[in-house]
Amino acid sequence: MNRREAVVQTALILGGIFSASTLQAMDRWEQLATHPRAHSATSAFLTETQREIVARVADLIIPRLDTPGDTSPGAIDVGVPNFIELMLRDCYKKPAQDAFLTGVVGLERKGFLSLPADQQTNSLKQLEADALKDTAPTFWIITKELTLLGYFTSEAGIKASFDYQPIPGKFEAIKIKPGQKDFMYGNQA
Amino acid sequence: MNLNIKADKGQTYDAIVVGSGMTGGWAAKELTEKGLNVLVLERGYELKHVEDYKTAMKDPWEFEHRGKISNVAAEEHYATMYFSAKEGSQYLYTNDKENPYIQKRPFNWIRAYHTGGKSLLWGKHTYRWNSEDFLANTKQGIGIDWPIRYEDLAPWYTYVEKFVGISGTREGLAVLPDSYFLPGMAMTAPEIHLKKSVAQKMNRPITIGRVAHLTNPQPWHTALGRASCQFRNRCSRGCPFGAYFSSLAATLPAARQTNRLTVVHNAIVKEIILDDKAQKAKGVRVIDQNTMEVREFYAKVIFLNAGTIGSTSILMNSKSARFPNGLGNDSDQLGRNLMDHHLAIGARADIDGFENDYFFGARPGSLYIPRFRNWGNDKRNYLRGFGYQGGASRADWSRGANESGFGADFKKKMTQPGPWKINLSGFGEVLPDPKNRFYLSEDQTDKWGLPQVVFDADFGENELAMRKDIMNDGAEMLEAAGFKNVVPYDNPVAHMGLGIHEMGTARMGKDPKTSVLNKFNQVHACKNVFVTDGSGMTSASNVNPSLTYMALTARAANHAVEQLKARNL
Repeated sequence: MNRREAVVQTALILGGIFSASTLQAMDRWEQLATHPRAHSATSAFLTETQREIVARVADLIIPRLDTPGDTSPGAIDVGVPNFIELMLRDCYKKPAQDAFLTGVVGLERKGFLSLPADQQTNSLKQLEADALKDTAPTFWIITKELTLLGYFTSEAGIKASFDYQPIPGKFEAIKIKPGQKDFMYGNQA
Repeated sequence: MNLNIKADKGQTYDAIVVGSGMTGGWAAKELTEKGLNVLVLERGYELKHVEDYKTAMKDPWEFEHRGKISNVAAEEHYATMYFSAKEGSQYLYTNDKENPYIQKRPFNWIRAYHTGGKSLLWGKHTYRWNSEDFLANTKQGIGIDWPIRYEDLAPWYTYVEKFVGISGTREGLAVLPDSYFLPGMAMTAPEIHLKKSVAQKMNRPITIGRVAHLTNPQPWHTALGRASCQFRNRCSRGCPFGAYFSSLAATLPAARQTNRLTVVHNAIVKEIILDDKAQKAKGVRVIDQNTMEVREFYAKVIFLNAGTIGSTSILMNSKSARFPNGLGNDSDQLGRNLMDHHLAIGARADIDGFENDYFFGARPGSLYIPRFRNWGNDKRNYLRGFGYQGGASRADWSRGANESGFGADFKKKMTQPGPWKINLSGFGEVLPDPKNRFYLSEDQTDKWGLPQVVFDADFGENELAMRKDIMNDGAEMLEAAGFKNVVPYDNPVAHMGLGIHEMGTARMGKDPKTSVLNKFNQVHACKNVFVTDGSGMTSASNVNPSLTYMALTARAANHAVEQLKARNL
């Protein structure tokens, strides 16, 4: 059983039917943003450069959009980089932390930050292709899961992305509307 | 330890109920409503309905870990990892590290030491047993015969169901007798398709899960401050609407309305005090979990509702000249025949189509597929059967981690409803086996000086044989509906205890030589002690047990009061 299956099965024990990364979670970013000291207390995990790499990768996964049809914040806007770091420290075990660091160091050696945008994107496509072959957690899958989690459970991310319904009041089968945004009920915690 | 024993007349009640959870709440309600002054002893801290549900109204971004359990919390909650792996509900689960137990064989002992107990954790699926469930042991020569039949319990099922409030639909099935129902919840479009396909091609019924949620509250529900389900499915954090049944929302408030209820918290019952001459219990000795102070309380009747392991442990700890091996343990069955349901097994699939179908609201329930194996003319190479819970819904943003891609288009895609997926998750019956047991450690104690519990139990050949069918039958039904990428699954980490349906360690029976409790849940040799939680179960059925525990409790409380009036106790 590879890791992804293991996590999916964990979700299934709970009767869940969604992909397992639902279980991946966390955020202190708002606190960190408003309490710089708390930030520095948790900042020893990555160097300044490594932190910039993680932020850049996260923002390539979930970029800010400012088009007529879609205005929404990006991963950096909602504090995903700090969130990723905090999650790794609090909720991930050493093998995953090591895999993550290995991946960051790899990008650092490539001079990732000084690559042109299209080459940065290509680097990530390569990471994604490599991750498919890997049964152990990789930098790419950890970063992607945490970026999605950090963004799609943040207040700004939810409000820009979904039809948030904290108190639906009923359950009924309905037909989908054109351009329907996914409902979110905020029950995943 | 401080052994300053306080024993004054102010500590005397008509009845003592040990435990404030699912069945303790019922014992308290029934006994107070019938005129008794009742003391409820809760070993944990006081948890107040609504105001102490501290995470219930939080938005996703307010959770420090956005729902994920931290490494520290995982270490503290080792037994409960699969259930408390959410940040919002973790506070309702007992810290295992501080309350250790011994696993001779792996066992997940999941506890909730606070007011309401596990009635705040339960899955709310609520099913009657059928007639055969009470007959299977004697027909098959397994364990011992039940001292009661379905007909003995049927009126008590109805009585309990009205008060609890159970949503469901009438099906008229012998295998899954109907309850007194509030309106059933809706099915999604692919679920309706599955129901039709499986009915047509396999002649198996599928119904909406029968769950203890108020879908149309009745006056007796609202009189207790309970309101309609809001379909938030945040139940595991505590329901501020009192929409799902718990002792905190329903039975304890009802008992309180009589003005005959006293609840003492932080009171760990160490043992039952026996009046050797009268062969009756006269009270209980408790340890305050914070101050270590030892106190005694007295009553004419004692109800043990501390959860199966808790209640049975109290009997084991209550040693006397008459009962050197534990109160009521003449049969040596105390602690034996430990059962649960086996789970974490089934099948899942992807669903093509239904692109225009969607749903509004978060349903706190699922489909239910009643047992079909070894039922009617079906005959398998194992005994008993299993049912499924499950359902179909559309994948959310979290599917993105398992899909390739990133960037602007990917981001936009994740904001739209994903493809439909379906899961069927089996719950199978476990046979009673005297070798599956727990006992008290002779040398290891907890911080109150009480012996630690040692678990020595596992699933047997019958359960393992059944599990093959659970996977294959689940997959077959999904295939019958034409769903794609059908994958049967079986999680090997699902040890006994994970169902949180531990039961059977002080079984009911007709013969005191082979059982601990009689047909009214009284200890055979000490009739004023009633045990009405899962301890008394002579077999396990494959359906969720809480409804049966509650019905047995109401029936036993009625008997206790009748016997008190007749001066037989």
